[in-house]
Amino acid sequence: MANKIVLDQASMQRALTRITYEILEHNKGGQNLILVGVKTRGEYLAHRIADRLEQLEGVQIPVMAIDISDYRDDRLGQHTKLGLDEDDRVNIIDQNIVLVDDVLFTGRTTRAALDALIQIGRPKTISLAVLIDRGHRELPIRADFVGKNIPTAQNEKIQVHVKEIDGTDEVEIVH
Amino acid sequence: MYKRTTDENLKRILFLGSGETDFGMQGENDAAIYQVLPILKSQGYRLFFVDDNPYSLALESSEAETIVATLTVQSIKSIIKEKQIDAVFPGFAGLRGLRLWHQVIAEWREEDGARPVGLGISDKTLDLLNDSTALFETLSAAGLAMPEATIVRSQSEANELLRDLELPLLVRAHNPAQGTTRRIVRRLDDFEEAVNQVLSQSLTKEAVISKAINGLKEVSLLVLRDKAGNCLQVGASEDMDPIGIHTADSLSVAPILTISDQIVQEMRAQAFLVADILNVQGPVHVQLALNERTGQLYIIKVSPYLDQLSNRMALMTGYPVMLVAAQLATGRRIMDVELPADSYHEKTAMMEPVMDHIVVKLPVFSFGDLKASGIHVNRQLNSIQKSVGSALGFGRTFIEAMEKAIRAAHFNNRSFSPKYMKNVSDDEMIQQLIHPHDNRVLLLLEALRRGYEVDELAELTKIDEFYFYQLKQLLVTEERILDSGPSHEQLAEAKQSGLSDGLLARFWNSNLQNIRTLAKEAGVIPTYKALEPSAGEFPENAHQFFATFEEENESVAVSNHTILLVGSGAFRMGDGAAAGYVTSVALSELRKLGYHTVIMNNNAADASLLPHLSDKQYLEPLETSDVMAVVDQEKPEAILVPGNRRKLIASLLALGQRVIVLPKEKHQPFGPEADESEFALNLFYDGQRAYPLVLTQHQAGEIRLVDQDISGTDLAGIHLDHSGVYQLIWRKKGLNWVKHVDLPDFSVDSWLRPMPFGQIAFLSKLLKISLIRLVVRSWKGGLTENDLGALVAHMPDLRGSDFAMVSDRTDFHLHLQPDAPIDSTRFEMGAKIVRLQED
Amino acid sequence: MERHLILEDGTVFSGEGFGAPATTFGEVIFDTATSGYQETITNPIYDGQMIVFAMPVVGADGIHAEAYESISPKIRGMIVHDLAEVSTNRQRRMNLDRFLKQYNIPGLYQVDTRKLIRHLRETGSQKATIVDVVDDHARDQLQATVLTNKQVQNTATDKAYSNPGRGFHIIVIDFGLKNGILRVLGDYDANVTVLPYTTSVDEVLTLDPDGIILSTGPGNPEDLPESVLTLIRVLQSKVPMLGIGLGHELFALANHSALTVLPAEYHGMNHPIQEIISQEIFYARQGRGYVVDPEMLDSKRLFVTHRDLVDQSIQGLRHRDFPAFSVQFFPDGAPGPLEAKRVFADFFETVVDYVQKNN
Repeated sequence: MANKIVLDQASMQRALTRITYEILEHNKGGQNLILVGVKTRGEYLAHRIADRLEQLEGVQIPVMAIDISDYRDDRLGQHTKLGLDEDDRVNIIDQNIVLVDDVLFTGRTTRAALDALIQIGRPKTISLAVLIDRGHRELPIRADFVGKNIPTAQNEKIQVHVKEIDGTDEVEIVH
Repeated sequence: MYKRTTDENLKRILFLGSGETDFGMQGENDAAIYQVLPILKSQGYRLFFVDDNPYSLALESSEAETIVATLTVQSIKSIIKEKQIDAVFPGFAGLRGLRLWHQVIAEWREEDGARPVGLGISDKTLDLLNDSTALFETLSAAGLAMPEATIVRSQSEANELLRDLELPLLVRAHNPAQGTTRRIVRRLDDFEEAVNQVLSQSLTKEAVISKAINGLKEVSLLVLRDKAGNCLQVGASEDMDPIGIHTADSLSVAPILTISDQIVQEMRAQAFLVADILNVQGPVHVQLALNERTGQLYIIKVSPYLDQLSNRMALMTGYPVMLVAAQLATGRRIMDVELPADSYHEKTAMMEPVMDHIVVKLPVFSFGDLKASGIHVNRQLNSIQKSVGSALGFGRTFIEAMEKAIRAAHFNNRSFSPKYMKNVSDDEMIQQLIHPHDNRVLLLLEALRRGYEVDELAELTKIDEFYFYQLKQLLVTEERILDSGPSHEQLAEAKQSGLSDGLLARFWNSNLQNIRTLAKEAGVIPTYKALEPSAGEFPENAHQFFATFEEENESVAVSNHTILLVGSGAFRMGDGAAAGYVTSVALSELRKLGYHTVIMNNNAADASLLPHLSDKQYLEPLETSDVMAVVDQEKPEAILVPGNRRKLIASLLALGQRVIVLPKEKHQPFGPEADESEFALNLFYDGQRAYPLVLTQHQAGEIRLVDQDISGTDLAGIHLDHSGVYQLIWRKKGLNWVKHVDLPDFSVDSWLRPMPFGQIAFLSKLLKISLIRLVVRSWKGGLTENDLGALVAHMPDLRGSDFAMVSDRTDFHLHLQPDAPIDSTRFEMGAKIVRLQED
Repeated sequence: MERHLILEDGTVFSGEGFGAPATTFGEVIFDTATSGYQETITNPIYDGQMIVFAMPVVGADGIHAEAYESISPKIRGMIVHDLAEVSTNRQRRMNLDRFLKQYNIPGLYQVDTRKLIRHLRETGSQKATIVDVVDDHARDQLQATVLTNKQVQNTATDKAYSNPGRGFHIIVIDFGLKNGILRVLGDYDANVTVLPYTTSVDEVLTLDPDGIILSTGPGNPEDLPESVLTLIRVLQSKVPMLGIGLGHELFALANHSALTVLPAEYHGMNHPIQEIISQEIFYARQGRGYVVDPEMLDSKRLFVTHRDLVDQSIQGLRHRDFPAFSVQFFPDGAPGPLEAKRVFADFFETVVDYVQKNN
């Protein structure tokens, strides 16, 4: 069966726009705000949101990227390496962190990211923004900002494409 | 493969030319390129331009390095390498340009090195355009409706389809060699021949067969899209004639009058979607069909390149389509486009233009001229283009615009005599209502005169009722004028309906001068309205005007040092397409000499109407009354008129005007017979003396320079009324291209004629001397020593040439189905400069 | 019959009368859109106004059942250059001329509308009258006439009514609602309740809305009672809200911002509107005599989301603390570009979010 596009470029842009507005609503004017993108695509989405915040408020919001591939609790191996790039380290103590990911599924990725963040410091708040919430949570995790809810079957896969690496902006369901 | 990603690296841009003019290509591309070169150059680009069109104005531009070369993959590749081109701009060369660029991409090899980027259109889109099945699928997948189509590769496959599909069917070539040919097959008997014909025209030997959607309303939209995906609608026009008649052959109207906003907006949304799918940076022309009963829309053609609609929309709306399109292609966003501040409001580029006037485009057919030469053609209009040009009429009502378009297209009002159609029998009338000929509007009027009802006519012709109400109103006006005789009120009404003084003189058995006097008494004088894209919302420094009869005149005379040029109007067969070149060069030179210039013309493809070439442009018909009205307004020092407009010249002289004649024969001369050669001693006459230029040999469809020094020829006996470029002509049997020919006794064995405009353009390029500029300079009382020196000193070097001009490429059979061969000199549609092979 | 338009500044424009032979007074404005005349003259925002059309030929598309923006036109006059007599109505052979007659609205055609528009562009929107004879009496009448400021009362509903659907429950506060908004809500299958602007907070909240729309409407928003602003202030903090046109102006006023009066009103659909956050531009039908004053914007409460790039006017606002936003332009595409409908898509996404979070 053919892949089905569930979010085209325009809708994806609009979803990011709405997430940005909502982040602003919850973080007065973007003060003490840090965006943390979950690698790979979450990082690009975080930059997009930061660009939008800059267009609106003229402020530059720091963006960090976090690589949680070693942090997943369902994978074997030691938590030997921090998921944050050394260069990107910002003092996150008492900051409002928005974790940005492309898809929220079981919640395990998010949890890993939370672990990684808390290891570095103690932020004031952490909230979660995802482009797609596809359901099937295995952990008590809920996104604060959702671009689009897309109910899926367990065996389906959601693929988010971003212009920066995939050439297009769209989200499709792969069967 | 190496590809550039940032615009900073685009320094050296090669513009592709569109080649020879033809049905549907009348120089609009060349005019567009000529227009955009200066602004791109000012933005820091190094520009190159290649073409093989002898009539090209852009080839003589000083803003680019211009190259005369045949438009082949080989020559483009070598230019790219030699000139280290970073980017190629194919979109201003029409479909030909896109095809050529696509081929260059396909034939680019590793060893050719870094390939330049294509501006305005992506490689992927080019692939899509070349594969109509894929295009169909892509557009369908996006939810756009198109008449369903099937591709067949043989006659038998086509016959198979007949089982499933009912007639009428639309048969067209897949990937046609040039343009798109469409044939509607109504009778089974015609099917085989039609399929055969289009198979042979297809590069891939494939035909596309689809259900014909005749009778639906046809609409054209022009949209612009930028790199960021922002879209803007430049405008839309509706065809009066339904689908089934080629849009070029239809009377069309802008803005859209008879379609509701809901559908207008749906069409706009679809056009934007098409532009998005094709990922274009520049113009997209989308043609749609509307079934008014169901509201169903069909996309019938998408053209993501500059075509005639672009130039026409620019002229009709005052929105600088080409200046914007070129900058979008180089990567600017719509809101970042720069426009010359002296002509436009600073926000013009990003505002969608709105029209507070009506423009009617009327096609021009050459059937009459052909008939005069004993050639009969198929006059029934169908889905293959038969018109050779078009004229625009500008007005504030549909009737005014239509009348002015008719006058613009025909230079006279012969056709509008109520008697004209009396001889058509009722049977013929019904036949022609259903199967229209070129005299469409006249026939509709005659039908109304004979008492046909509006709904009956609307049903027979599939033309919107609105137009019949309008024509009825015109008939009422016409009757009142005839019945009442000359009066102030009737004169006012007639002029508001776009009628000319000449026609009124005939209606009232009077003469032009009397009508003019009456008009002045009655205060019925034109008020010129600025043509600008904001519909009055903003003050714009408009330079374009059209006449109407209302209260406020917005035109202020340019200066007391003005020359008025009367343009050439619509293209006709013969060297029509070269006329724009001649007028444009004359405008440019007059300005250099310090004159202010005002041009009158009505042909959107004509470069002479480009805003930067003159101080003011009047978009008007070119009859005596129109010209005199502008004369009254501008009080020019002199009026420049092409020599073929003999009646106009006589009338202007009779009215005491100073006229400068640009020598031109009434008709393009016939070419030599099939077994003979024509020789021309080309000469320049500066008002006092004739100077020999070069010798040319002409055969049917081809002209070459003879490698013979004629600089010493004694032309002292020649005295002419007007300075200009002329030819002494003689003919000889034989078809050898000669290296030497004995000159005849010019006083006996030859005749003298003005050099046809096409040849002036051709020779100017080969001689690298702009002959028209010299002609213009000579009007001030002969050439200066400097000019003469250059002319005389230069000639002996220029005897032969590697280049010939060829004009036998037009497919007359396809368009006109003539019953005899058409003389490609007399009825030239276009020409090409070709490099001669070494013998 | 020759009739005349007298402007407050004394200028007279003459033409042929059509529609009703009535003498009327109104504020004269101009419209540069080239489509949608029927939607325009039936839009309640034009209550009390006379409209000059830049489009040279008006009426060529007849009168259609699906092009009404309200049941009856509220304009006081229509001034065009050329009038087309095309009938499309199956029952009554209705055309524009007969339509205006039926509603006792005068029209003028064969007017040099371009001259009139250029004049209005310089002198501003103003009071005017359409008369048979230009004399001192007519001029005195015009000077003496005070135009109503009760346009919202004239056009808005005074009774609640519903336009049922099976989707989200959307409450529309009516200030002179145009049908286009209801049509779009219908596209989303919204379950719509239209309420008078005099409704109390309690009445609204009792109906448990998923979203609230502050409708378009005519006239000066400052002529409306303070209770409207209070209503908005309370509701915006509870339920997703979208203000449109007059609704946008009221949203701004409710959030301690101020308006300015435009010297010449803008009515058309050709100005680019930029969504600031994405930098994208699009086009929409606009009709405005007032805009939010950027100097007087309370930026602690609101921020600007859209601007008209031609005059830099504020075209969209959003509340800093609540899912409440507003647009000056008309996003319903009736008439006008459909790309502006994205505003409704945004609104419904916000509603979805609200409903999910509060269930």
